[in-house]
Amino acid sequence: MAAEMALLKPISKFNRTPTFQPNNRFKTSIIRMSSAAPTKPKKAAKAAIKETLLAPRFYTTDFDEMETLFNTEINKNLSQSEFEALLQEFKTDYNQTHFVRNKEFKEAADKIQGPMRKIFVEFLERSCTAEFSGFLLYKELGRRLKKTNPVVAEIFSLMSRDEARHAGFLNKGLSDFNLALDLGFLTKARKYTFFKPKFIFYATYLSEKIGYWRYITIYRHLKANPEYQLYPIFKYFENWCQDENRHGDFFSALMKAQPQFLNDWKAKLWSRFFCLSVYVTMYLNDCQRTAFYEGIGLDTKEFDMHVIIETNRTTARIFPAVLDVENPEFKAKLDRMVEINQKLIAVGESEDIPLVKNLKRAPLIAALASELFAAYLMPPVESGSVDLAEFEPQLVY
Amino acid sequence: MVYPAALSVGSCAGLPPIESELFKRPLRISPSSSSSSSRSFERRAKTKEAAIIRSVSIPPPRAVAVDSNQLGSSDPPPQIEESKKYYFVVANAKFMLDEEEHFKELMSERIRLYGERNREQDFWLVIEPKFLDKFPNITKRLKRPAVALVSTNGPWITFMKLRLDRVLAESFDSESLEEALACNPTDLRFEKPENWVAPYPKYEFGWWEPFLPPGSNKQKA
Repeated sequence: MAAEMALLKPISKFNRTPTFQPNNRFKTSIIRMSSAAPTKPKKAAKAAIKETLLAPRFYTTDFDEMETLFNTEINKNLSQSEFEALLQEFKTDYNQTHFVRNKEFKEAADKIQGPMRKIFVEFLERSCTAEFSGFLLYKELGRRLKKTNPVVAEIFSLMSRDEARHAGFLNKGLSDFNLALDLGFLTKARKYTFFKPKFIFYATYLSEKIGYWRYITIYRHLKANPEYQLYPIFKYFENWCQDENRHGDFFSALMKAQPQFLNDWKAKLWSRFFCLSVYVTMYLNDCQRTAFYEGIGLDTKEFDMHVIIETNRTTARIFPAVLDVENPEFKAKLDRMVEINQKLIAVGESEDIPLVKNLKRAPLIAALASELFAAYLMPPVESGSVDLAEFEPQLVY
Repeated sequence: MVYPAALSVGSCAGLPPIESELFKRPLRISPSSSSSSSRSFERRAKTKEAAIIRSVSIPPPRAVAVDSNQLGSSDPPPQIEESKKYYFVVANAKFMLDEEEHFKELMSERIRLYGERNREQDFWLVIEPKFLDKFPNITKRLKRPAVALVSTNGPWITFMKLRLDRVLAESFDSESLEEALACNPTDLRFEKPENWVAPYPKYEFGWWEPFLPPGSNKQKA
């Protein structure tokens, strides 16, 4: 999972941490990495644990319901052919030998100084956290579905393999900056956002697909403009993001196997809601970090709109409805949300007492909510997989 | 480097002997901290049912068994005299070769992998394939010129159908590769996109040439 989704607040009363035990191999590497930088890891972990509305989330779900949904005994008609095809793809393991570092990394990191250094570290931390959150969720799903649907379970386990690899690679990147994320600590200390299975499908599908579009866009841009290639990690993005794209395909298959999540008016409303949450979260996040994107030669808003439009086109292959993001009014709304969000941040950073801050925030939050609501209500685009969609008979291929 | 592929095809085709034989091979852990390999490997051994789940739609056992032969060993597969099953997805050329840029990435990724693992190529892009004449239900819904992705690996074509979605999928038997991949000479021309806003250039026209059937490369060049 390379992107985050966070407009929904974590349910704080959900205190149960999933019974995750980091595998020994993983733990060892963390200790080794931490000891490589004995003075900093605490600080890095602390910085990463700062929970904000837009921070990358850790997800958890109703594992019992998941087990029921994919139980091949209960659902005898559960079509398995797409899962078996995906299992073959994941077992092929295209990137088995891809994530090998070289000495360019440290040299490049040493050259990144000044404000850009902090921005880079933040980028690595956030990316690592997002990948690691995917690892935790998929690992647990792989464990829980083992008995009821071994094929689906094994795919989850193989996806957690990918995510662990990605997170590990990013964490090694942090070591170039003399930092390390203490992932074991993160596992215990972070809040987990609870989503019902169907919401996990929508959210992780989008998260994986938007992750693909972000990474491939950065990769292709830097390939065309190598003078902005500040740090070699971007050179790995082309192969890397194919993993993200495949993970998204798996969630497509999961949803197609549960068409009740795709074929009614509620599914359409939820689809639009999740699209909006993911797009807005990314836009607001990135517009707070324009220095990073400008630093690698991208115009933040252009980059984001490209990613949103492409993700939306991809998503239209499975969600029954998507947003009309190519309508200029959509971008206008996003830009107004950025302005409001900047004012909100300014209030937060001001010297006012908490009561005054809250009074100042209230109208801004109302304005943000109204923009969000208006964007949600824009006329949607009917969409969906041709295997399910009503418009299929009219389609010319 | 061949075993993961053989393993995967083996499990789809329901060939437990391959699985158990492979299980004896030493584990390979990737250089980065891949934490789940060893566990999932153990589990794979325990849950044999993963290997014998019956496939529901596309891959009929006979054809997939041929696949596993072909992928599992480095010997050239017996191509002559034996009828083989070819699976394909098809859509108009603009969709396949011009619009869906992630498709190009998947093709490049797969050919890279085949090179790394010394696997013989078993997937091709066929422009205006002759075999379409056998599928009037497809051709009446197809914009022309059309391009098909053809492979002897059924599950992979199922995956590509899932990915591309706006394509039609079918399969046919053929006695030779040449017959299966025969095409009608066609010139492709794509209009430049009116409004290219991506912060990078498009993939170059002709990226698909390495994937055309053997022989047609020369024609093109």
